[in-house]
Amino acid sequence: MIRCSGLVKSYSAGHRRKIVLGGVDLEIGRGQKLGLLGRNGAGKTTLIKLIGGVELPNAGRIERKMTVSWPLGFGGGFQGSLTGYDNARFIARIYGRNYRDIQDFIEDFTELGRQLAMPVKTYSSGMRARLAFALSLAIEFDCYLIDEVIMVGDQNFQRKCHEEIFVKRADRALILASHSVDFIRQYCDMALLIDKGEASVKGDIDEAIALYSNL
Amino acid sequence: MAALHQGWAIQTRVIQALIIRELTTRFGRENIGFLWVMAEPLLFAVLVGLLWRFEKGPQEHGVSIIAFVATGYLPLVMFRSTVQRAMGSFSANSSLMYHRQVKILDLILVRFFVEMIGHMMAYLFIATVFYALDEFPWPHDFGYLLLGWSYYALFTLTLATIVAPLSEMSEVLEKVMPVTTYLMVPFSGAFFMAEWLAPDVKAAVLWSPPVHAMEMMRYGVFGDAVYPHFSFVYTPAWCLPVLMVGLMLCRHVRRVMMVE
Repeated sequence: MIRCSGLVKSYSAGHRRKIVLGGVDLEIGRGQKLGLLGRNGAGKTTLIKLIGGVELPNAGRIERKMTVSWPLGFGGGFQGSLTGYDNARFIARIYGRNYRDIQDFIEDFTELGRQLAMPVKTYSSGMRARLAFALSLAIEFDCYLIDEVIMVGDQNFQRKCHEEIFVKRADRALILASHSVDFIRQYCDMALLIDKGEASVKGDIDEAIALYSNL
Repeated sequence: MAALHQGWAIQTRVIQALIIRELTTRFGRENIGFLWVMAEPLLFAVLVGLLWRFEKGPQEHGVSIIAFVATGYLPLVMFRSTVQRAMGSFSANSSLMYHRQVKILDLILVRFFVEMIGHMMAYLFIATVFYALDEFPWPHDFGYLLLGWSYYALFTLTLATIVAPLSEMSEVLEKVMPVTTYLMVPFSGAFFMAEWLAPDVKAAVLWSPPVHAMEMMRYGVFGDAVYPHFSFVYTPAWCLPVLMVGLMLCRHVRRVMMVE
Protein backbone atom coordinates (compact mmCIF):
# COMPACT_ATOMS: atom_id res chain seq x y z
CA MET A 1 0.00 0.00 0.00
CA ILE A 2 1.10 3.56 -0.66
CA ARG A 3 -0.63 6.36 1.19
CA CYS A 4 -0.10 10.05 0.46
CA SER A 5 -1.68 12.63 2.71
CA GLY A 6 -1.72 16.37 2.20
CA LEU A 7 1.08 16.50 -0.35
CA VAL A 8 2.05 20.06 -1.18
CA LYS A 9 4.71 20.92 -3.74
CA SER A 10 5.63 24.40 -4.87
CA TYR A 11 8.53 25.75 -6.85
CA SER A 12 9.98 29.22 -6.65
CA ALA A 13 9.34 31.19 -9.81
CA GLY A 14 11.17 34.49 -9.56
CA HIS A 15 9.88 36.20 -6.44
CA ARG A 16 6.68 34.23 -6.24
CA ARG A 17 6.06 30.59 -5.54
CA LYS A 18 4.11 28.50 -7.97
CA ILE A 19 2.02 25.90 -6.21
CA VAL A 20 1.89 22.77 -8.33
CA LEU A 21 0.19 20.44 -5.91
CA GLY A 22 -1.90 21.97 -3.17
CA GLY A 23 -2.66 19.07 -0.84
CA VAL A 24 -3.09 15.73 -2.56
CA ASP A 25 -4.43 12.67 -0.75
CA LEU A 26 -4.40 9.27 -2.30
CA GLU A 27 -4.13 5.63 -1.39
CA ILE A 28 -3.27 2.72 -3.62
CA GLY A 29 -3.25 -0.92 -2.59
CA ARG A 30 -1.55 -3.97 -4.05
CA GLY A 31 -2.57 -4.69 -7.60
CA GLN A 32 -4.53 -1.48 -8.04
CA LYS A 33 -4.02 0.57 -11.19
CA LEU A 34 -4.25 4.32 -10.87
CA GLY A 35 -4.33 6.61 -13.88
CA LEU A 36 -3.25 10.24 -13.53
CA LEU A 37 -5.12 12.67 -15.76
CA GLY A 38 -4.37 16.32 -16.24
CA ARG A 39 -3.31 18.86 -18.80
CA ASN A 40 0.31 19.56 -19.66
CA GLY A 41 1.98 21.12 -16.62
CA ALA A 42 -0.83 20.14 -14.26
CA GLY A 43 1.60 18.26 -12.02
CA LYS A 44 1.30 14.61 -13.07
CA THR A 45 5.05 14.15 -13.39
CA THR A 46 5.63 16.10 -10.16
CA LEU A 47 3.27 13.79 -8.29
CA ILE A 48 5.02 10.73 -9.71
CA LYS A 49 8.39 12.16 -8.67
CA LEU A 50 7.13 12.74 -5.13
CA ILE A 51 5.73 9.22 -4.85
CA GLY A 52 9.00 7.85 -6.22
CA GLY A 53 10.97 9.93 -3.70
CA VAL A 54 12.94 11.73 -6.42
CA GLU A 55 11.83 15.11 -5.14
CA LEU A 56 10.52 15.83 -1.67
CA PRO A 57 7.18 17.49 -0.82
CA ASN A 58 7.04 20.84 0.97
CA ALA A 59 4.39 19.39 3.25
CA GLY A 60 2.55 16.13 3.68
CA ARG A 61 3.49 12.51 4.17
CA ILE A 62 4.12 9.55 1.93
CA GLU A 63 4.00 6.05 3.39
CA ARG A 64 5.28 3.22 1.25
CA LYS A 65 4.37 -0.25 2.47
CA MET A 66 5.39 -1.92 -0.80
CA THR A 67 8.41 -1.59 -3.05
CA VAL A 68 8.04 1.25 -5.53
CA SER A 69 10.00 1.56 -8.77
CA TRP A 70 11.81 4.71 -9.77
CA PRO A 71 9.73 6.84 -12.16
CA LEU A 72 9.98 5.47 -15.68
CA GLY A 73 10.01 8.20 -18.25
CA PHE A 74 12.45 9.40 -20.86
CA GLY A 75 14.90 11.12 -18.54
CA GLY A 76 16.55 10.28 -15.30
CA GLY A 77 18.02 7.30 -13.58
CA PHE A 78 20.97 6.83 -15.94
CA GLN A 79 24.54 8.00 -16.15
CA GLY A 80 24.97 9.08 -19.76
CA SER A 81 28.72 8.55 -19.93
CA LEU A 82 28.44 4.92 -18.81
CA THR A 83 27.47 2.06 -21.11
CA GLY A 84 24.14 0.28 -20.93
CA TYR A 85 25.86 -2.68 -19.29
CA ASP A 86 27.57 -0.48 -16.69
CA ASN A 87 24.29 1.19 -15.85
CA ALA A 88 22.73 -2.25 -15.47
CA ARG A 89 25.57 -3.33 -13.19
CA PHE A 90 25.14 -0.21 -11.09
CA ILE A 91 21.37 -0.67 -10.75
CA ALA A 92 21.84 -4.36 -9.88
CA ARG A 93 24.35 -3.40 -7.18
CA ILE A 94 22.28 -0.72 -5.48
CA TYR A 95 19.14 -2.86 -5.51
CA GLY A 96 21.09 -5.84 -4.22
CA ARG A 97 20.53 -8.10 -7.24
CA ASN A 98 22.99 -10.40 -8.92
CA TYR A 99 23.94 -8.84 -12.24
CA ARG A 100 24.36 -12.22 -13.98
CA ASP A 101 20.74 -13.07 -13.15
CA ILE A 102 19.30 -10.01 -14.84
CA GLN A 103 21.73 -9.67 -17.75
CA ASP A 104 19.96 -12.16 -20.02
CA PHE A 105 16.57 -10.60 -19.44
CA ILE A 106 17.95 -7.15 -20.27
CA GLU A 107 19.60 -8.31 -23.48
CA ASP A 108 16.49 -10.16 -24.48
CA PHE A 109 13.99 -7.42 -23.62
CA THR A 110 15.88 -4.41 -24.98
CA GLU A 111 17.07 -6.13 -28.20
CA LEU A 112 19.81 -3.50 -28.23
CA GLY A 113 22.58 -5.99 -29.01
CA ARG A 114 26.05 -4.48 -29.19
CA GLN A 115 24.64 -1.02 -28.48
CA LEU A 116 24.50 -2.05 -24.82
CA ALA A 117 28.27 -1.73 -24.75
CA MET A 118 28.03 1.92 -25.87
CA PRO A 119 27.53 4.96 -23.60
CA VAL A 120 23.86 5.63 -22.85
CA LYS A 121 24.20 9.23 -24.07
CA THR A 122 24.46 7.86 -27.62
CA TYR A 123 21.02 6.20 -27.30
CA SER A 124 17.84 7.54 -28.84
CA SER A 125 15.02 8.26 -26.41
CA GLY A 126 13.29 5.08 -27.52
CA MET A 127 16.39 3.04 -26.76
CA ARG A 128 16.68 4.63 -23.33
CA ALA A 129 13.06 3.78 -22.68
CA ARG A 130 13.75 0.14 -23.53
CA LEU A 131 16.69 0.02 -21.15
CA ALA A 132 14.85 1.77 -18.31
CA PHE A 133 11.91 -0.56 -18.70
CA ALA A 134 14.02 -3.67 -18.88
CA LEU A 135 15.94 -2.72 -15.73
CA SER A 136 12.87 -1.96 -13.65
CA LEU A 137 11.22 -5.19 -14.79
CA ALA A 138 14.36 -7.14 -13.96
CA ILE A 139 14.52 -5.72 -10.43
CA GLU A 140 10.79 -6.49 -9.86
CA PHE A 141 8.73 -4.00 -7.88
CA ASP A 142 5.31 -4.21 -6.24
CA CYS A 143 4.33 -0.89 -7.76
CA TYR A 144 5.50 0.69 -11.00
CA LEU A 145 5.50 4.44 -11.63
CA ILE A 146 5.16 5.06 -15.33
CA ASP A 147 4.93 8.12 -17.49
CA GLU A 148 2.96 7.09 -20.54
CA VAL A 149 5.35 8.78 -22.96
CA ILE A 150 7.76 5.96 -22.33
CA MET A 151 5.37 3.45 -23.82
CA VAL A 152 5.16 5.28 -27.11
CA GLY A 153 7.81 3.13 -28.72
CA ASP A 154 7.62 1.08 -31.88
CA GLN A 155 4.99 -1.65 -32.30
CA ASN A 156 7.24 -4.42 -31.12
CA PHE A 157 8.19 -2.51 -27.94
CA GLN A 158 4.58 -1.62 -27.18
CA ARG A 159 3.60 -5.27 -27.52
CA LYS A 160 6.40 -6.34 -25.16
CA CYS A 161 5.54 -3.68 -22.57
CA HIS A 162 1.93 -4.72 -22.67
CA GLU A 163 2.86 -8.36 -22.20
CA GLU A 164 5.30 -7.77 -19.34
CA ILE A 165 3.32 -5.16 -17.42
CA PHE A 166 -0.33 -5.95 -17.94
CA VAL A 167 -0.24 -9.70 -18.48
CA LYS A 168 2.72 -11.18 -16.60
CA ARG A 169 2.59 -8.58 -13.81
CA ALA A 170 -1.16 -8.11 -13.59
CA ASP A 171 -0.91 -8.48 -9.81
CA ARG A 172 1.31 -5.41 -9.43
CA ALA A 173 0.15 -1.92 -8.60
CA LEU A 174 0.64 0.78 -11.19
CA ILE A 175 0.56 4.56 -11.22
CA LEU A 176 0.37 5.77 -14.76
CA ALA A 177 0.39 9.33 -16.07
CA SER A 178 -1.33 9.59 -19.40
CA HIS A 179 -3.08 11.89 -21.84
CA SER A 180 -4.82 9.03 -23.55
CA VAL A 181 -8.29 8.53 -22.10
CA ASP A 182 -8.65 5.25 -24.00
CA PHE A 183 -5.50 3.94 -22.43
CA ILE A 184 -6.68 4.82 -18.92
CA ARG A 185 -10.15 3.42 -19.57
CA GLN A 186 -8.62 0.16 -20.75
CA TYR A 187 -6.05 -0.44 -18.02
CA CYS A 188 -6.86 1.51 -14.87
CA ASP A 189 -9.44 0.87 -12.18
CA MET A 190 -9.29 4.33 -10.69
CA ALA A 191 -8.22 7.77 -11.82
CA LEU A 192 -6.82 10.90 -10.26
CA LEU A 193 -7.66 14.15 -11.98
CA ILE A 194 -5.18 16.96 -11.34
CA ASP A 195 -6.28 20.49 -12.11
CA LYS A 196 -4.97 23.80 -10.72
CA GLY A 197 -3.16 22.06 -7.87
CA GLU A 198 -6.32 20.23 -6.76
CA ALA A 199 -6.63 16.50 -7.14
CA SER A 200 -9.13 13.89 -6.13
CA VAL A 201 -9.33 10.17 -6.70
CA LYS A 202 -12.32 8.93 -8.65
CA GLY A 203 -13.26 5.30 -8.40
CA ASP A 204 -15.41 5.85 -11.44
CA ILE A 205 -13.12 6.14 -14.46
CA ASP A 206 -15.84 7.45 -16.77
CA GLU A 207 -16.66 10.29 -14.41
CA ALA A 208 -12.97 11.31 -14.23
CA ILE A 209 -12.66 11.14 -17.99
CA ALA A 210 -15.76 13.26 -18.45
CA LEU A 211 -14.37 15.91 -16.08
CA TYR A 212 -11.01 15.77 -17.84
CA SER A 213 -12.60 16.22 -21.24
CA ASN A 214 -14.34 19.36 -20.02
CA LEU A 215 -11.13 21.05 -18.83
CA MET B 1 17.90 -2.43 15.72
CA ALA B 2 17.16 -4.71 12.78
CA ALA B 3 16.10 -1.66 10.75
CA LEU B 4 19.35 0.09 11.64
CA HIS B 5 21.36 -2.95 10.61
CA GLN B 6 19.49 -3.22 7.32
CA GLY B 7 19.94 0.50 6.66
CA TRP B 8 23.66 0.15 7.27
CA ALA B 9 23.85 -2.82 4.88
CA ILE B 10 22.04 -0.84 2.17
CA GLN B 11 24.25 2.22 2.64
CA THR B 12 27.50 0.26 2.41
CA ARG B 13 26.20 -1.48 -0.72
CA VAL B 14 25.20 1.85 -2.24
CA ILE B 15 28.52 3.50 -1.42
CA GLN B 16 30.45 0.60 -2.93
CA ALA B 17 28.37 0.81 -6.10
CA LEU B 18 28.83 4.58 -6.26
CA ILE B 19 32.60 4.30 -5.81
CA ILE B 20 32.82 1.84 -8.69
CA ARG B 21 30.64 4.13 -10.77
CA GLU B 22 32.75 7.18 -9.90
CA LEU B 23 35.97 5.36 -10.78
CA THR B 24 34.63 4.10 -14.12
CA THR B 25 33.23 7.49 -15.12
CA ARG B 26 36.37 9.34 -14.15
CA PHE B 27 39.09 6.99 -15.24
CA GLY B 28 37.49 4.45 -17.56
CA ARG B 29 38.77 0.91 -17.96
CA GLU B 30 41.60 1.71 -20.39
CA ASN B 31 45.31 1.35 -19.46
CA ILE B 32 45.94 1.79 -15.71
CA GLY B 33 42.28 2.62 -14.99
CA PHE B 34 41.57 3.60 -11.43
CA LEU B 35 45.27 3.83 -10.55
CA TRP B 36 45.08 7.28 -12.14
CA VAL B 37 43.47 8.35 -8.91
CA MET B 38 46.91 8.35 -7.29
CA ALA B 39 48.83 9.54 -10.35
CA GLU B 40 48.04 13.22 -10.00
CA PRO B 41 48.88 13.65 -6.30
CA LEU B 42 51.96 11.47 -6.85
CA LEU B 43 53.30 13.68 -9.61
CA PHE B 44 52.56 16.79 -7.60
CA ALA B 45 54.37 15.63 -4.48
CA VAL B 46 57.35 14.08 -6.24
CA LEU B 47 58.00 16.98 -8.61
CA VAL B 48 57.61 19.68 -5.95
CA GLY B 49 59.71 17.58 -3.60
CA LEU B 50 62.52 17.26 -6.17
CA LEU B 51 62.31 20.97 -6.94
CA TRP B 52 62.81 21.84 -3.30
CA ARG B 53 65.50 19.19 -2.99
CA PHE B 54 67.61 20.85 -5.69
CA GLU B 55 66.81 24.34 -4.53
CA LYS B 56 67.43 23.92 -0.81
CA GLY B 57 69.57 20.83 -0.39
CA PRO B 58 68.76 17.44 1.14
CA GLN B 59 67.62 18.60 4.56
CA GLU B 60 65.81 21.41 6.28
CA HIS B 61 65.72 21.81 10.05
CA GLY B 62 67.21 18.35 10.26
CA VAL B 63 64.58 16.40 8.31
CA SER B 64 64.67 15.05 4.75
CA ILE B 65 63.23 17.71 2.51
CA ILE B 66 61.56 15.31 0.09
CA ALA B 67 59.81 13.55 2.97
CA PHE B 68 58.82 16.90 4.43
CA VAL B 69 57.28 18.13 1.16
CA ALA B 70 55.49 14.83 0.48
CA THR B 71 53.99 14.62 3.97
CA GLY B 72 52.75 18.19 3.63
CA TYR B 73 51.63 18.26 0.05
CA LEU B 74 49.55 15.09 -0.15
CA PRO B 75 47.00 15.94 2.56
CA LEU B 76 46.80 19.48 1.19
CA VAL B 77 46.11 18.28 -2.35
CA MET B 78 43.52 15.84 -0.95
CA PHE B 79 41.79 18.73 0.73
CA ARG B 80 41.89 20.92 -2.36
CA SER B 81 40.62 18.32 -4.81
CA THR B 82 37.88 17.10 -2.47
CA VAL B 83 36.56 20.61 -1.97
CA GLN B 84 36.86 21.30 -5.70
CA ARG B 85 34.95 18.13 -6.54
CA ALA B 86 32.31 18.76 -3.89
CA MET B 87 31.26 21.89 -5.74
CA GLY B 88 28.29 21.24 -7.95
CA SER B 89 28.35 17.54 -7.09
CA PHE B 90 24.63 17.51 -6.27
CA SER B 91 23.39 18.90 -9.56
CA ALA B 92 25.92 16.86 -11.54
CA ASN B 93 24.58 13.67 -9.94
CA SER B 94 20.95 14.62 -9.48
CA SER B 95 19.81 11.72 -11.65
CA LEU B 96 20.93 9.40 -8.86
CA MET B 97 18.08 10.74 -6.78
CA TYR B 98 15.84 8.51 -8.90
CA HIS B 99 16.92 5.71 -6.60
CA ARG B 100 15.63 6.28 -3.11
CA GLN B 101 18.38 4.31 -1.40
CA VAL B 102 20.95 6.84 -2.67
CA LYS B 103 21.09 9.65 -0.11
CA ILE B 104 22.37 13.14 -0.80
CA LEU B 105 25.24 12.67 1.64
CA ASP B 106 26.41 9.60 -0.30
CA LEU B 107 27.31 11.88 -3.20
CA ILE B 108 29.77 13.82 -1.00
CA LEU B 109 31.04 10.75 0.83
CA VAL B 110 31.85 8.92 -2.39
CA ARG B 111 33.91 11.72 -3.90
CA PHE B 112 35.63 12.20 -0.56
CA PHE B 113 36.47 8.49 -0.24
CA VAL B 114 37.86 8.35 -3.77
CA GLU B 115 40.13 11.33 -3.11
CA MET B 116 41.17 10.07 0.30
CA ILE B 117 42.00 6.56 -0.92
CA GLY B 118 43.89 7.96 -3.92
CA HIS B 119 45.97 10.32 -1.81
CA MET B 120 46.68 7.74 0.87
CA MET B 121 47.81 5.30 -1.81
CA ALA B 122 50.11 7.99 -3.21
CA TYR B 123 51.43 8.66 0.30
CA LEU B 124 52.15 4.99 0.85
CA PHE B 125 53.78 4.69 -2.57
CA ILE B 126 56.06 7.71 -2.09
CA ALA B 127 56.97 6.68 1.43
CA THR B 128 57.92 3.18 0.27
CA VAL B 129 59.96 4.29 -2.74
CA PHE B 130 61.82 7.04 -0.89
CA TYR B 131 62.35 4.81 2.14
CA ALA B 132 64.15 2.45 -0.21
CA LEU B 133 66.19 5.43 -1.49
CA ASP B 134 66.90 6.49 2.10
CA GLU B 135 65.08 9.81 1.69
CA PHE B 136 62.09 8.90 3.90
CA PRO B 137 62.37 7.77 7.53
CA TRP B 138 60.63 4.73 8.99
CA PRO B 139 57.62 6.32 10.78
CA HIS B 140 58.28 7.06 14.41
CA ASP B 141 54.71 6.29 15.54
CA PHE B 142 51.94 4.98 13.28
CA GLY B 143 49.31 5.96 15.83
CA TYR B 144 50.06 9.68 15.52
CA LEU B 145 50.40 9.38 11.76
CA LEU B 146 46.98 7.73 11.34
CA LEU B 147 45.25 9.94 13.88
CA GLY B 148 46.66 13.01 12.11
CA TRP B 149 45.39 11.67 8.76
CA SER B 150 41.97 11.04 10.28
CA TYR B 151 41.83 14.58 11.64
CA TYR B 152 42.89 16.02 8.29
CA ALA B 153 40.29 13.85 6.55
CA LEU B 154 37.61 14.93 9.02
CA PHE B 155 38.41 18.57 8.31
CA THR B 156 38.28 17.89 4.56
CA LEU B 157 34.93 16.12 4.80
CA THR B 158 33.55 18.89 7.01
CA LEU B 159 34.43 21.56 4.48
CA ALA B 160 33.03 19.42 1.64
CA THR B 161 29.64 19.16 3.38
CA ILE B 162 29.58 22.96 3.64
CA VAL B 163 30.83 23.74 0.15
CA ALA B 164 28.65 21.24 -1.73
CA PRO B 165 25.26 22.65 -0.63
CA LEU B 166 26.45 26.27 -0.71
CA SER B 167 27.62 25.84 -4.31
CA GLU B 168 24.03 24.88 -5.22
CA MET B 169 22.68 27.95 -3.48
CA SER B 170 25.05 30.57 -4.88
CA GLU B 171 27.14 30.77 -8.00
CA VAL B 172 29.57 33.24 -6.43
CA LEU B 173 31.14 30.41 -4.46
CA GLU B 174 32.41 28.74 -7.61
CA LYS B 175 34.30 31.92 -8.51
CA VAL B 176 35.84 32.57 -5.10
CA MET B 177 36.63 28.99 -4.07
CA PRO B 178 39.90 28.50 -6.03
CA VAL B 179 41.45 31.67 -4.59
CA THR B 180 40.17 30.76 -1.12
CA THR B 181 41.82 27.33 -1.19
CA TYR B 182 44.98 29.06 -2.44
CA LEU B 183 44.91 31.56 0.41
CA MET B 184 44.37 28.66 2.77
CA VAL B 185 47.77 27.18 1.90
CA PRO B 186 49.63 28.99 4.73
CA PHE B 187 46.97 27.74 7.15
CA SER B 188 47.25 24.13 6.02
CA GLY B 189 50.48 23.53 7.87
CA ALA B 190 51.95 21.92 4.75
CA PHE B 191 55.20 23.84 4.42
CA PHE B 192 56.40 24.47 7.95
CA MET B 193 56.42 23.21 11.50
CA ALA B 194 54.72 25.71 13.80
CA GLU B 195 57.87 25.65 15.94
CA TRP B 196 59.90 27.29 13.14
CA LEU B 197 57.64 30.36 13.05
CA ALA B 198 57.73 33.62 15.00
CA PRO B 199 55.59 33.38 18.18
CA ASP B 200 52.69 35.56 16.98
CA VAL B 201 52.58 33.83 13.57
CA LYS B 202 52.68 30.49 15.34
CA ALA B 203 49.74 31.47 17.53
CA ALA B 204 47.82 32.56 14.43
CA VAL B 205 48.31 29.35 12.43
CA LEU B 206 47.34 27.22 15.42
CA TRP B 207 43.81 28.58 15.10
CA SER B 208 43.58 26.51 11.94
CA PRO B 209 42.39 22.92 12.54
CA PRO B 210 44.43 21.27 9.73
CA VAL B 211 47.66 22.64 11.23
CA HIS B 212 47.06 20.50 14.34
CA ALA B 213 46.39 17.46 12.15
CA MET B 214 49.52 18.12 10.10
CA GLU B 215 51.76 18.58 13.15
CA MET B 216 50.46 15.30 14.49
CA MET B 217 51.19 13.48 11.22
CA ARG B 218 54.66 14.99 11.03
CA TYR B 219 55.39 13.88 14.57
CA GLY B 220 54.18 10.41 13.62
CA VAL B 221 56.67 10.34 10.75
CA PHE B 222 59.70 12.26 12.02
CA GLY B 223 59.40 11.71 15.75
CA ASP B 224 61.75 13.73 17.92
CA ALA B 225 63.48 15.29 14.92
CA VAL B 226 60.61 17.80 15.00
CA TYR B 227 58.95 19.61 17.87
CA PRO B 228 55.20 19.47 17.17
CA HIS B 229 52.39 21.69 18.47
CA PHE B 230 48.95 20.15 18.47
CA SER B 231 45.89 19.55 20.55
CA PHE B 232 43.98 16.29 20.47
CA VAL B 233 40.63 17.99 20.92
CA TYR B 234 40.89 21.17 18.86
CA THR B 235 40.33 19.68 15.38
CA PRO B 236 37.30 17.51 16.27
CA ALA B 237 35.89 20.24 18.50
CA TRP B 238 36.07 22.63 15.55
CA CYS B 239 34.85 20.15 12.93
CA LEU B 240 31.87 18.52 14.62
CA PRO B 241 29.70 21.65 15.04
CA VAL B 242 30.61 22.82 11.53
CA LEU B 243 29.80 19.36 10.20
CA MET B 244 26.35 19.62 11.84
CA VAL B 245 25.75 22.90 10.01
CA GLY B 246 26.92 21.26 6.78
CA LEU B 247 24.53 18.34 7.23
CA MET B 248 21.65 20.74 7.83
CA LEU B 249 22.55 22.65 4.68
CA CYS B 250 22.65 19.38 2.71
CA ARG B 251 19.25 18.45 4.07
CA HIS B 252 17.86 21.82 3.09
CA VAL B 253 19.25 21.58 -0.44
CA ARG B 254 17.82 18.06 -0.82
CA ARG B 255 14.34 19.33 0.11
CA VAL B 256 14.32 22.03 -2.55
CA MET B 257 16.34 20.12 -5.14
CA MET B 258 14.84 19.91 -8.58
CA VAL B 259 15.57 16.72 -10.46
CA GLU B 260 15.00 16.58 -14.18
